Amino acid sequence: MKTVVIGAGIAGLVTAIRLREAGQDVTLVTKGLGGLQLGQGTLDVFGYNPDRVDSPIAEVEKVAAADPGHPYAAIGADAVRTGVEYMAGLVGGLLEGSVDENILLPTAVGAMRPTSYIQSSMANGACTAGKKLLIAGPEQLKDFYPQLIAGNLARTDLPGGGRVEARSASFSIPARGTEADSSGLQYARALDRPEYRRQFAAAIKPLVRDGETVGLPAVLGLNDLNAWRDLQDLIGAPIFEIPLPPPGVPGMRLNQLLTDLAKEKRVKVILGSPVLGGTAEDGRLVSVTVGSTGHDMVVRADHVVLCAGGFESGSLELDSYGVMSETIFDLPLVGTDIPEPTHGQYWGDPQPMFRVGVKVDSAMRVLDAAGQPVYANLHAAGGILAGAVRWTEKNGEGIALGSAIAATDAILGGI
Amino acid sequence: MKKLETDVVVIGGGATGAGVVRDVAMRGYRTILVDRADLGQGTTGRYHGLLHSGGRYVVSDPRSATECAEENEIITRIHADAVETTGGLFVVGPDDPLDFADDWLKGAQATGVPHEEITVAEALRREPRLNPKSKRAFAVLDGTVDGWQMVWGAARSAEDYGAQILTYHEVTEVIRDGEKVLGVRAIDHKSGEEVQIDCTFAINAGGPWAGQIAGMAQCPDVDVVPGRGIMIAMNHRLVNQVVNRCIYPSDGDILVPVHTVCIIGTTDVKVEDPDHLAIPRDEVQQMLDAGEVLVPGFRQARALHAWSGARPLVKDSRVSATDTRHMSRGMSIIDHQSRDGLNGLLTIAGGKLTTYRLMAKNIVDVMVEQMGDDRPCRTETEAVPGSKTQKNYHVTHRLENAEKILRKEQIVCECELMTRGQLEELIHEQPTASFDDLRRQLRLGMGPCQGGFCSVRAAGIMQETGKADVERVTELLRKFLKNRWIGLWPILYGDQVRQTALDNWIFQGTLDMDHLPEAEEAHV
Repeated sequence: MKTVVIGAGIAGLVTAIRLREAGQDVTLVTKGLGGLQLGQGTLDVFGYNPDRVDSPIAEVEKVAAADPGHPYAAIGADAVRTGVEYMAGLVGGLLEGSVDENILLPTAVGAMRPTSYIQSSMANGACTAGKKLLIAGPEQLKDFYPQLIAGNLARTDLPGGGRVEARSASFSIPARGTEADSSGLQYARALDRPEYRRQFAAAIKPLVRDGETVGLPAVLGLNDLNAWRDLQDLIGAPIFEIPLPPPGVPGMRLNQLLTDLAKEKRVKVILGSPVLGGTAEDGRLVSVTVGSTGHDMVVRADHVVLCAGGFESGSLELDSYGVMSETIFDLPLVGTDIPEPTHGQYWGDPQPMFRVGVKVDSAMRVLDAAGQPVYANLHAAGGILAGAVRWTEKNGEGIALGSAIAATDAILGGI
Repeated sequence: MKKLETDVVVIGGGATGAGVVRDVAMRGYRTILVDRADLGQGTTGRYHGLLHSGGRYVVSDPRSATECAEENEIITRIHADAVETTGGLFVVGPDDPLDFADDWLKGAQATGVPHEEITVAEALRREPRLNPKSKRAFAVLDGTVDGWQMVWGAARSAEDYGAQILTYHEVTEVIRDGEKVLGVRAIDHKSGEEVQIDCTFAINAGGPWAGQIAGMAQCPDVDVVPGRGIMIAMNHRLVNQVVNRCIYPSDGDILVPVHTVCIIGTTDVKVEDPDHLAIPRDEVQQMLDAGEVLVPGFRQARALHAWSGARPLVKDSRVSATDTRHMSRGMSIIDHQSRDGLNGLLTIAGGKLTTYRLMAKNIVDVMVEQMGDDRPCRTETEAVPGSKTQKNYHVTHRLENAEKILRKEQIVCECELMTRGQLEELIHEQPTASFDDLRRQLRLGMGPCQGGFCSVRAAGIMQETGKADVERVTELLRKFLKNRWIGLWPILYGDQVRQTALDNWIFQGTLDMDHLPEAEEAHV
């Protein structure tokens, strides 16, 4: 059996790998490099609804039962748990956590963000009352402001009462030569080298006081997944990483591991090429058409899994006349009946527009207005599913991984 | 209460007020300018950036056309750093009447507006995106001007002559003793302190708010009618010259390249309250349709930001009270001595940004005469600080600078190539500035990402300068993003939806900014 997976984000990569592990022939077609590298590199299952969620999987169960419009209703809590644990297994020890409990981690503006699975390099950052934090970063990195982070952390009440103690410090060390303006990625590449780590640690060590845990920008190595441990030994105090705005080094690590795994498992990857549409026969998609230089390619398929993301990926569009569309197969969308965006604060009430997407059944088959599958073999996973504002609810990876499992199970089960 | 004393108080820090305070100071008077907000925050900052050649008014308002042509040359010289000499085109669109073009040509000749008819092929060579079905084209000397840069240039020039500029000082009272103005009272919004400024003369340059200010001096019925217009910035310079439609002035007939973007404008609707200006979706659609006529494919380009501004039009009995489009764009000086029997107060309204200097000259001439002095205007002859080299702005200036400092200094805003040094310098100069105040001078958050990356950096840097604590910078950041959003939601379509989704992933997804603690008291 041959499956075409469209999109190289977390949903697409995990779907492709899981199908290959089951012996399917898989071609992954992607226009870009996938959204994993833009995020914070943790696995969110449910963070806010709208109040802060303590037990994410319990919230998934609750929403699945109560809100048929939410993607978790079709996916179900079992698939979410399986998906997140499967993903954690794929990246062998890089991720730790549990879908039963959220961890509060500092962000690069000093908020405390709930998430389920975190990278080991972040674990020392879990916020508890009375914890002494030193937030420190190199002056040459313009996306990390220790005073802002420490200041906001120190004035935030913890859920169980109390606060952390947090102070800040800066040090000066360029990532390359004498460069005054280095990206997080440049630092991550530099910190892959043991010699640079020694210099970096030497700049930090004198700043640390007894009993402090050191919060550093999440740039502590890109390819060397143990770089942070080495740095921690050199500094001689517990350290943790705080994710930055894109490009996100922790997300790049996950992306790199999954991409390597996909290659190792011989997923055929067609990179940099958009899927332009498909051909249908008897209610099934029999092929997809891939735009490439010179001529379009037709790739035959027994199943297609659409993991192309939402508006941020160009997979959903709203044109200047107010018409919303899915850009590859022109699939029916739900939630489009909204008069206009809400005039509120930037992050006020979630904009209904961003709940738009496709509706699926429990096999993740895309449904039409009558509730019937549009094509018997077209499944969807991840950001294109209707019903959630992922950045507000903080459930992007949970939805992506849960739907990837539900879709692959359906395909492997013969639907 | 804080007390100050001066000769002349200028109320209103838009282009007109800044021009007036500069002129007053250059004529040797002590003077203080007060504005309830930042300089150029009202009408001056809410327009399309066009430095008129006069071409737009050759048929509808010949006198304004001549004034514009003359002032264009002066502004380009004295505000060189705020002006880009782009040139402009008047183009007859595929469905536009040809007879207006004949009238336009006659008008241009009669009013002395420099112009040259060129072939449509030549117009397309100059502006390849122009509608190829255009029927006629005229080249003119339109330019673009950064209103904020111009106003700050005038204000700094005034300061060099001893003037004081007090922003965020809202006038609450005009003090009069019978038939004489004695001073004004204002509240300093940054400190909460009351300020009394004694003076012998006050000039009301309040723009759309001029009627309210005159009312404070018990001079009723100064009828300034706010004419609201919307504008939309597109994320590229779709054109590099100003492109005007050669028709009787109408809605959405100008496309102006300003800095890294281009701006389409505008509508014109009479409104009651200049403090609450809508950006209606139907007017956005109207602008997009109009853009298609000028530049086919306009609807596929990315809209970046929308805003609304109010023209201060003085009520004119010659046209219907709701037809603000065809009220005179000319200036009106109201002499409260002859009109209301009050000495020491003049009001100026109407006019255009392009003619701000002339408006200032005219009203200060009246003041000087009423004061019994003889001090001639010199604003035409001297460039403002920053423009002494006579080098006009060019869109690649910041790129040129960025190349020089490559790797030596941080670029805080990649969209607009704003450096950390520029930001720190302005924070140092204006320690109480909001991010929008900084934006008006540095273009912070005005590029394609609309603050997605630079806003948090600005917060971090502001705190590191020691001018604000964490509560304040967090509130400044919140407020800035809230204000950005006002101009985003009316044009949320196409690629701007994609950008907004990315920005939301950053602000909420990664940073969880929406759950930062609220300040105990808002002190921004």
